[in-house]
Amino acid sequence: MSRGLKLTDVLVTIVISIVFGIVYKLWGPLYYLVKPFGIQLDQLIYGMWFIAAIVAFLIIRKPGVALLAEIAASSGEFLLGSEFGLEVLLYGVVQGLFAEIVFMAARYKRFDVAIVSFAALSSGVGSLIFDYYKGYIGDLAVWNLSLMVGFRLIGSILIAGVGGYYLVKALEATGVTNLVRPTTKQDYDALDQ
Amino acid sequence: MTNRHIAASVTNLRLKFPDDPQLRFKDLSISFEKGEKVLLLGPSGCGKSTFLQVLSGLIPSSIEVPVKTEDIQLPQSWGYVFQDPDTQFCMPYVDEEIAFVLENLCVPRQEMPTRIKALLAEVGLTFDDLHTNIQTLSGGMKQRLAIASVLALEPDVLFLDEPTAMLDPEGSKSIWDTVKNVSDEKTLLIVEHKLEHVLDLVERIVLFNQNGEIIADGEKGYILTHYKSTLKEHGVWYPGVWEDYLRSRTKPLMNDPRAEIVFDLQGFQGLRKKDPAITVPSATITTGEWITITGANGAGKSTLLLSLMQFLKTKGTYTLFGNSVKKTRNVTEYLTFVFQNPEFQFVTNTVYDEVAYALRIEQMDEQFIEEKVNERLECFGLNGLRKHHPYQLSIGQKRRLSVAASIIKNPPVLLLDEPTFGQDSRNTFALLEMLEEYRVNGTTILMVTHDEEIVKHFATRVWKIDDGQLTSDYFNVEKELVNA
Amino acid sequence: MNLDLTIKKTWLYKINPSLKLLVMVLLFIGVLFVHQLNMIVYGTLSALLLLILFSGHPPKRLALLSIPFIIVFVSTASSMILFGKGDTTWFKWGLIHITEESFYRGIHLGFRALVFATLGLTFSLTTRPVYLFYSLMQQVKLNPKYAYSFMAGFRLIPIMIEEFQTIRNAMVVRGVQQQKGIRSFYFKLKSYSIPLLSQSIRRAHRIAVAMEAKRFSEVKKRTFYYKIGFSGYDVVFIVSWVFLIGAAYYLSLNVPILPTGDVRYE
Ligand SMILES: Nc1ncnc2c1ncn2[C@@H]1O[C@H](COP(=O)(O)OP(=O)(O)OP(=O)(O)O)[C@@H](O)[C@H]1O
Ligand SMILES: Nc1ncnc2c1ncn2[C@@H]1O[C@H](COP(=O)(O)OP(=O)(O)OP(=O)(O)O)[C@@H](O)[C@H]1O
Ligand SMILES: [Mg+2]
Ligand SMILES: [Mg+2]
Repeated sequence: MSRGLKLTDVLVTIVISIVFGIVYKLWGPLYYLVKPFGIQLDQLIYGMWFIAAIVAFLIIRKPGVALLAEIAASSGEFLLGSEFGLEVLLYGVVQGLFAEIVFMAARYKRFDVAIVSFAALSSGVGSLIFDYYKGYIGDLAVWNLSLMVGFRLIGSILIAGVGGYYLVKALEATGVTNLVRPTTKQDYDALDQ
Repeated sequence: MTNRHIAASVTNLRLKFPDDPQLRFKDLSISFEKGEKVLLLGPSGCGKSTFLQVLSGLIPSSIEVPVKTEDIQLPQSWGYVFQDPDTQFCMPYVDEEIAFVLENLCVPRQEMPTRIKALLAEVGLTFDDLHTNIQTLSGGMKQRLAIASVLALEPDVLFLDEPTAMLDPEGSKSIWDTVKNVSDEKTLLIVEHKLEHVLDLVERIVLFNQNGEIIADGEKGYILTHYKSTLKEHGVWYPGVWEDYLRSRTKPLMNDPRAEIVFDLQGFQGLRKKDPAITVPSATITTGEWITITGANGAGKSTLLLSLMQFLKTKGTYTLFGNSVKKTRNVTEYLTFVFQNPEFQFVTNTVYDEVAYALRIEQMDEQFIEEKVNERLECFGLNGLRKHHPYQLSIGQKRRLSVAASIIKNPPVLLLDEPTFGQDSRNTFALLEMLEEYRVNGTTILMVTHDEEIVKHFATRVWKIDDGQLTSDYFNVEKELVNA
Repeated sequence: MNLDLTIKKTWLYKINPSLKLLVMVLLFIGVLFVHQLNMIVYGTLSALLLLILFSGHPPKRLALLSIPFIIVFVSTASSMILFGKGDTTWFKWGLIHITEESFYRGIHLGFRALVFATLGLTFSLTTRPVYLFYSLMQQVKLNPKYAYSFMAGFRLIPIMIEEFQTIRNAMVVRGVQQQKGIRSFYFKLKSYSIPLLSQSIRRAHRIAVAMEAKRFSEVKKRTFYYKIGFSGYDVVFIVSWVFLIGAAYYLSLNVPILPTGDVRYE
């Protein structure tokens, strides 16, 4: 593992995340359109807000990327004038941190759909903890709270985890990820032909 | 071993792109002395840009590509002007971009505004307000800005990768004059297809072949006289190449005089932010015409083509094959457009799919598609690259691919925005001849170019754009046509 | 981006961006500890006052930007109002159970969201990202590697939007939209998002290379084109917040608008 992130890593992470920042911004109104249906259906699409960390990590595969990505995406969303205002920044930090912890626990060596879903789940848990303080969600009726937690976690895994995973798969097909991934020993060996 | 007289050198360089079957460079050795002014020549795609990136150290420090050298000596202080003007900037405004370089050099803040002005003046850019958004500059203006910010580095060694590919003739001349003025003590390593202005500047020429091997290296005059046939064989530009070409070419045929009217434009205007950015007072264009559009950088040539494509809002009368144009949809049936930046139009993941794309949409037979695509790839010199991703090509190859992919479906009208920039001579002539064949068969061609020779020998009609206005429109009598 | 629109540069623009951000974050955290409904109502009014009077944007634009706020308010409040815990029942129908407590708690949450949104909008409307990052480098010693990457990233936003347009144009030229079928939606989604992302990555990579070619390195001490410091406006900003919070507190005690105190469920 190289020491820290290179400029290329940082810049690529931030730019990907800003693309997602724009998506996040557009996601806000959608979320609030779904919300009035009640029974916490909106929570199913909440997971989109964790996807930047997952995608950036799968592309760059280095420590710190997940956290940086989520911060960058939320500050992009924030500076675009998000209707959630400042809270997106702080949520971004928390969500990024929770995803990062999972990748760290796997020593940054696993990039499969399971670990990624787990990271997404972790982000979801992080956001719920924050909601506990901010949204008094502990004061919701129990059945309602359970729906909320359940839907949010399922949504996280499906959208951010599985969705992010397949998005990166599609990107890999275009060859673009080779740009930022280190060259392998095989590539070097091929020089001796 | 470091040698004080050597600006940069490399011994036994090996380099291979991971998805390429063969080595790009195999045991390449060369060295450049301090103060030397060197021109690197070679066919498009031979590895010139890659080579400059190795010598500057960008490969492998910033761009990870497997390389191996026995010994390499990188320059201490260097500047690099890239081929692509769009992606060299990291700040949004002109002044901030140059200031970024000055900051890297720890120039005190108070000195920055004067330095910025001086640097911009050096490359012939003037702004009412230095705080101008880079996004609103034309391609050529961006390239000058890129040069200005590199000059801010005051480098000993300058790497120039076709810095003037997108500039108008005056602009290119002034850039090369600028380079000449600032490069007294400097080492220059230049990649450039067009020799017009660089030849005065360089002393030494290094010639690469298609496989990235050095086949000639020596004093300028010597190479140009003794290797002329080699240059010709490898399709590299050399002084007198046009004369040689014209001598060998067969005269193009005259068109059917009963040509049909394609475009009818009356008081036609293309708008940017509600202001007219291009005005065509009155013009009709018929089948079989080849109009070249020339004009200074930022004059509005690309804007004109974008307006004809209806990608910008337009005003005035615009009739296409007798139908009044309202929506893009009916335009794209007739018009094909090749963007100034080729990358904009790639939609698939391989070179082969890219060329096959238009045919597949028409649901043609795969067998037929394969034949046709193969023929095109051969003709455009892209044959060995069919599995590459379009973005992995060299600039010249990308350009050719974008043209090849667009014209494969035989559209009645071609709009081409600088299709020959960054091409070697062989590919340029091949492309021009193919277009000429289309034209003779009745295709109408509108082509933006800065190349006077192309205008002289291929255009049937010449348009000049000045400051957002079509100011001159005449038929090219120099182009000799013969009756069928 | 909002930031390129024509605006009057009011004193809010002249505040040190790092300080402005810090104050906003402190306010945000502070709001989390406010459980008194009237306090938050007055606090929201203060924030709105600041936005309307001093953002320098015309009222019409502000009104337009605030439309989503109302939706946020309503939908944030509604879950808690309809499904929150409470004892004094106002209305009950199936799963829906509106109580006095849940109602006021919902309103409180709505106002909370409104404060956050207002503070956020005030910040983003009156701060140019480039100045923010220059300030963060100078005052908070943020590593330039991150600061410049952020600035380069933000520079790309309008380019990406233009690129989105160009991809659309290119697809029209290449005949992409002619394709039909059940999977065409999925195909469209893919044919926009993949090029946009991969193009962004390539562009970011090239910009990083170009930055390194321009001797961007993190080791040495760099100079700054924009010197961002502190001024009297910063004092005005802090003092006015102290005053506004004090006023909100006083008013909430003496001139309560709504008849509730702490909104938490015991
Ligand atoms: N990342 C990459 N992966 C695979 N192949 C590559 C990659 N980059 C470049 N190539 C190939 O290496 C060759 C050399 O490219 P390079 O850009 O150096 O050419 P060039 O001589 O500068 O051409 P031009 O005159 O057209 O700019 C080309 O054939 C190109 O397709
Ligand atoms: N996206 C844009 N937004 C706003 N203004 C633009 C944009 N693109 C170009 N312009 C402006 O429109 C004018 C014409 O630009 P255009 O790109 O048509 O020039 P051009 O003749 O094609 O130049 P070049 O030879 O450099 O390509 C220029 O003044 C340029 O600054
Ligand atoms: Mg090149
Ligand atoms: Mg142009």
